[in-house]
Amino acid sequence: MMYEIPDTGHETLCALVHFPGCVRFPEYDSSVKSRGEPLRVSRQVERRTLLKAAGASLASLGVAAAGCGGGSGSSSGGAVTIRYAWWGADDRAKRINETIDLFEKKHPKIKVKTDFQPYEDFWKKFNTQAAGGNPPDVIQNAVTFLRKYGGRNVLMDLKPQVQSGELSTEGFRSGLEKFAEIDGKLLGLPVASNSMAYIIDEKVYEKAGVTPEFGWTWDDWLAGMERIRSRTGVAGETGPHSIMYYYDLVLRQKGKAFFTEDGLGFSKSDLETEWAEAVKRIKSGLYTDPKKVEQIKPKSATAAGLSAGEFTWDNFTVRYDSEGKSSYGIAPIPTTDGSKTGQYLGSLMLSGTARTKHPKEVATFINFMVHDPEVGRIMGYDRGVLATTKQFEAFEPTDKVSKQISEYEKQIAEKGVLETITPHPAGADVIEAAFLRVATEVSLDKASPGEAVEKFFSEAETAFTANS
Amino acid sequence: MEGTAATDAGHQRGPRLSKDARPGGRPPGSAQARSSAHARRRGRRENLSGYLFMSPWIAGFLLLTAGPMAASFYFAFTDYNLFDTPQWVGLKNFSDMFADARWQKSVEVTSKYVVIGTPLKLIAALGVAMLLAQSRRGQAFYRAAFYAPSLIGASVSVAIVWRALFTDDAVVDRTQQLFGMNVGGWVGDPDWTLYALVALTVWQFGAPMVIFLAGLKQVPRELYEAAEVDGAGPWRRFWSITLPMISPVLFFNVLLETIHSFQIFGSAYILGGQGNPCGPADATLVYTCYLYQQGFENSRMGFASAMAWMLVVAVGLVTAVLFWSQKRWVHYEETAR
Repeated sequence: MMYEIPDTGHETLCALVHFPGCVRFPEYDSSVKSRGEPLRVSRQVERRTLLKAAGASLASLGVAAAGCGGGSGSSSGGAVTIRYAWWGADDRAKRINETIDLFEKKHPKIKVKTDFQPYEDFWKKFNTQAAGGNPPDVIQNAVTFLRKYGGRNVLMDLKPQVQSGELSTEGFRSGLEKFAEIDGKLLGLPVASNSMAYIIDEKVYEKAGVTPEFGWTWDDWLAGMERIRSRTGVAGETGPHSIMYYYDLVLRQKGKAFFTEDGLGFSKSDLETEWAEAVKRIKSGLYTDPKKVEQIKPKSATAAGLSAGEFTWDNFTVRYDSEGKSSYGIAPIPTTDGSKTGQYLGSLMLSGTARTKHPKEVATFINFMVHDPEVGRIMGYDRGVLATTKQFEAFEPTDKVSKQISEYEKQIAEKGVLETITPHPAGADVIEAAFLRVATEVSLDKASPGEAVEKFFSEAETAFTANS
Repeated sequence: MEGTAATDAGHQRGPRLSKDARPGGRPPGSAQARSSAHARRRGRRENLSGYLFMSPWIAGFLLLTAGPMAASFYFAFTDYNLFDTPQWVGLKNFSDMFADARWQKSVEVTSKYVVIGTPLKLIAALGVAMLLAQSRRGQAFYRAAFYAPSLIGASVSVAIVWRALFTDDAVVDRTQQLFGMNVGGWVGDPDWTLYALVALTVWQFGAPMVIFLAGLKQVPRELYEAAEVDGAGPWRRFWSITLPMISPVLFFNVLLETIHSFQIFGSAYILGGQGNPCGPADATLVYTCYLYQQGFENSRMGFASAMAWMLVVAVGLVTAVLFWSQKRWVHYEETAR
């Protein structure tokens, strides 16, 4: 009647496959069976051990559950613990840990527990923690997430802390004072500012004899790329499908923007024109072969020598410099009319979360991290150019890259090209991811610009509805 | 009974053997002294301790599996972003799903992966099992060696190494070039990325191979000898003896591997590279990958739950079809027991 898997086979099965029937009872092994009486003894011992083990695992379950519910701020001996999470890599962690040591020395009653992940993972984790009502007390934050988490009352309004004097909003460099103020709430304080830049491989540019200057136009940029392609064989540009903020600049130069307060700030035909043009440039070799760009992600194509330049945040020069073999410089953003670059200061900031049990300590911590000159010296331009004048002046850039960044931000401030940024609508993070993915489809020739635009707009609509 | 022969055989072992083992545990001399009430009490006590032993598992099952499943069933009919209270939307998630281009794409990618990957893996498994069944020496070594990829294959690190093998100018690309193929790295090309994933799956043929090997060893030698005497060639012997004789094992493998394939996630997520989950241009956007993105990146838990239940239904249907089809091709040995 029954097909029976042979014993040897079954044993192998049991050893190798997670198989419901595959519980192996050692006492039933033929070798043990023949021993008869002693079996009972061994069985009882085993039962006792097992019960103990079961008890222990139950207890550990209890501990785990307690750990989940406990959340932040278990105070022991008058000390308060706050949790601080950020995104970044090891070198940032090293700097931040140093600043925390400093903070704990000056505020012995506050202990800081830290946690960090790469950017995307950070936000996934934070989202889940916030939904579970157990977010870290302080997080590193960016403009994309202000409305999303402000609207859901995840972020703490820092205004009362400012009024009570725990937190100072004085002394920020111009353009940064009211950076994270939305609908009358102060949702964070900037720690550093960055701006979009065109990072170039200096050696390639030199070899091709192209010198970007402030106010250069898109035509100059194109001509430069053609020259680079013909003289060095390198593609001029990674391709704008790798960064959303490039398209934001293009739109801003035309008086539009990627995001308005509650939606997209451009039309389908705007985007279709942009993508159609990008496809042409990929085919003509002005932009890097997207297949190559995909393969080296998350590394930069410029740092990998696949392109002569790419649009990105100016503080990324630090990263390029350690990632790539050439030397990298910052070129100004090309313009439409010779002056307007569409730039603004972006910024990383520190925010508190609304459910924290220690709002005062959170404010003390943020205040210290934003204003203390020593913190500025330690952090340098890791997150961008330091936001407060005190920290900015405390850090004297000595290496070439930091000097370049500082020089660049000074230059754009002097030229008066900086605009104000609109805090992105809720759902902007999802839309940014969709934009990059769909743009990649276009560049890889898996969708026509027309189809892709439809796809992107419908995904954007879904994201706005889901986040409204 | 016939239906789950392979699984039943697996289940059989514990209880059947426990009966055998019992006399060994109790001295036969005291048997007549025991009244039936005593036995019943003892039985109940044994039941109780049995449940006690199972209690960590039962608690885990209720808290970590059954509870969340029930919750996700409810969420499937709601709009739920993790922050606000779920809003009942009826079947909207399902209708949205069918209209969603990326959902369709994920179904397409998953089907492709299952339909191409599973048979290739089983063919590789059966082929190697047949070779191993013939070898006399070093069988244990080869069995372990071929099995090893199954143990590590689903891990993140292997997926990362695999990705490295399939980039421009890496091992696979260089080998291709030797044969004059100019494909380049597979993982940057949306037309090829899925096949890198399929290759990763096929490479893990060890688990079904071991099961095949067990089945092959069970085929009586006499059948082959008789067939050889009758002048049957190797192919004939394979089609007429081997395949029918191992068809229950084959069925078991097909079933298990198909279900596994539907659930692929980790390697598909990683193969596209960091900053590019689920492949360039959605090339490895398998079903669970999209489910994960919707749930954990886009915070659409209602939609993601609906997707999960859709997957349950789909896998259930495929399993049902496989069970129904086995009447036609799976032969169970008629032995009186």
